[in-house]
Amino acid sequence: MKRSIAAALGAATAISLVLTGCSGDGDSGSGSGSNTLTLAGWSLATTPEFKTLVDGFRAVNPDVTIELKEYDAANYDTQMIADLAAGKAPDIYVQKTLKNFYTYQTGKQLLDVSDVAGKLGSTVAGLPTYQVEGKTYAIPYRQDSWVLYWNKALFAQAGVKPPDGSWTWDDYVTAAKDVTTKLKAKGSKAVGAYQHTWQSTVQGFALAQSSGADLTSADFAFLKPYYERSVDLQTAGAQVSFGDATTNKLTYQAQFGKQQAAMMVMGTWYMATLRSQQEKGDADKFEWGIAPAPQQTKATTGTSATPVTFADPTGLGINPAIGEGKVETAKQFLAYAAGPEAAKALAAIAITPADTTAVKDSFFTISGVPTDDLSKFTFASHDTKPENPVGKYTAPLQNILNDLHSAVLSGSKPIDAAITEAQDRAKNEVIGK
Amino acid sequence: MTTSHVAGRRRGRLVWRNTAVGWSFLLPNFAGFAILTLVPVVLLFYYSFTEWNIFGGSTWSGTANFRQLWNDSSFWTALRNTFYYAVFHIPLTIAVSLSLALLLNRKLRGVAFFRTVAFFPYITSIVAIAQIWNMLFSPGYGPVNEILRAIGVDNPPGWTTSADWSMPAVIIVGTWRDMGYYMLLFLAGLQTIRAELYEAATVDGAGPWQRFRAVTLPGLRPTTFFITVLLTINSFKIFDLILVMTDGGPGQSTLVLSQYIFQKGFEENQYGYASAVSIVLFAICFLVTIVQFLVNKRRDTA
Repeated sequence: MKRSIAAALGAATAISLVLTGCSGDGDSGSGSGSNTLTLAGWSLATTPEFKTLVDGFRAVNPDVTIELKEYDAANYDTQMIADLAAGKAPDIYVQKTLKNFYTYQTGKQLLDVSDVAGKLGSTVAGLPTYQVEGKTYAIPYRQDSWVLYWNKALFAQAGVKPPDGSWTWDDYVTAAKDVTTKLKAKGSKAVGAYQHTWQSTVQGFALAQSSGADLTSADFAFLKPYYERSVDLQTAGAQVSFGDATTNKLTYQAQFGKQQAAMMVMGTWYMATLRSQQEKGDADKFEWGIAPAPQQTKATTGTSATPVTFADPTGLGINPAIGEGKVETAKQFLAYAAGPEAAKALAAIAITPADTTAVKDSFFTISGVPTDDLSKFTFASHDTKPENPVGKYTAPLQNILNDLHSAVLSGSKPIDAAITEAQDRAKNEVIGK
Repeated sequence: MTTSHVAGRRRGRLVWRNTAVGWSFLLPNFAGFAILTLVPVVLLFYYSFTEWNIFGGSTWSGTANFRQLWNDSSFWTALRNTFYYAVFHIPLTIAVSLSLALLLNRKLRGVAFFRTVAFFPYITSIVAIAQIWNMLFSPGYGPVNEILRAIGVDNPPGWTTSADWSMPAVIIVGTWRDMGYYMLLFLAGLQTIRAELYEAATVDGAGPWQRFRAVTLPGLRPTTFFITVLLTINSFKIFDLILVMTDGGPGQSTLVLSQYIFQKGFEENQYGYASAVSIVLFAICFLVTIVQFLVNKRRDTA
């Protein structure tokens, strides 16, 4: 009897110890030596850029070890914020978008890396977005831009004049409708364009291209023409409707890669995916190219002008909890990642580095990437505005505008009413609260 | 020292020993509850009176969060939608699962198979459910609207792509998913009603409807009460289904409280404000449950 009580008590204590042990600190992520760094990444199996950077850096600094810590791509910022708050985040972590840079920076979760920025060449794009009051808090290694992908085979089949860099959005709409009608006449099911369900496919361009557009002004009238064109395209059947795309969870990779649409606006990251999917057979084999995103006015069209588009840079920041002795090595890694050597290594796997001028020729030597002049022009010249201008109100304002996006494109609300509602919400819930 | 004294002490020791054994068995469970639930809940009350973006300390802001809530139209929309969901989901689920339980509570060939079939939606992954139902509801190509068109409905609803029909769509799927689980509870309740009562009622000349009203329903009272409480709390907390099925859209047409909490907290890093909304949700669940207890108690004594 007595022994069984003791056993029960012992077991209970053991279990409770295990339970409390779960919430204990697990500070094992950051390695011990000053030559061991940890770096955050996501979807490592399908996102080779982190390993490319690490391997490239270790080729010049063989005594440094960099361990990769994997995060979930879709919940990257949520997980990173939790890890930072718990003191378990890696030494170097990625600014995946600009949406949460404000949170990290004002939360004092980023080390000042102005000295690294000072040594970088002027050709590194995206740097100013990480500067607050004269100090730099992250270093961009990658700068995508949204461009227009087009299927050369489908355009040839339809017999429609392909994009040549001179298009405004109205030209794009006309071409999309034209392609749809002509392909239909030839018995093809493909349509002119595909617009993915993300709010950025409409709002990113509207914000970047409309003069004076500013999220924090709570004046969203600039969105109107962009939504009218989108609604027009889906009503005309030249683009899959928003409702069909969301309910059937359409993927943009299949819509363009399986030749369901002749054109698609998407970020330059898709080049790496499309090329590898074509090689593996996940996508059809067809000739494609990239063209500058359609413009709001003729002023920024043509190959003598610089087309205006958008995308957030991807940058690296240093966790202030990093060991004192490791800061210099971490800064060296940041400098390497933004430099020309890393740019070439990234370009070799079809990633758009922050410094595109360093790779404007070598990028087009990789197999499966289009080599026509317009694609080369598109890759090298663009005025890329941030999708999420850094600020306190960016995240909540983008959430409000996301509601507007689904309400308008699903046909639940006319654009004027939706804009008025979004403006009221922005004023009441975000800016004036 | 007399013998009775010794016996008394022995009994006292036995009582203490039994208590200790009982507590030691409870300890793991209670420790888990205290660490993972109780402490966070107490902290939540504190955070709801602060402004906190997770990094660094939280700053005391008094009732500012609650005053902001009062003027926050999105919060009211979320509250309205949550009630919309609960008001339809609770009675619908009770009706459907009770009917299923009555249907499957007889000696029928293959009854185990049908019970399993009815229970299946409950064990299926919510993501798969949302994905499949979204496809079924797809306005252009979905079979639901194909059937509606075939039987002569000219303008079938847009379901999850329409602000007016997205909530009904979610309620339908929510009911379909939950019916199997509550059916099982009703089935268990039906086993406890003694067969003699039915026999006596039949002898007294009661028809099936009268037997249902006079025997089945009163006999199921404890079960029904338990199910109602459970369903109410679960309906007010609805989150996963909405997140994967409509993500609160189109617009804010299916935004519910727990999703609003998630949005404010984890997407916009306003943990203090999100905590305040959680308090409101907690208060609603708490109040509704208390009211249900009181109503049930009054009926018990009546």
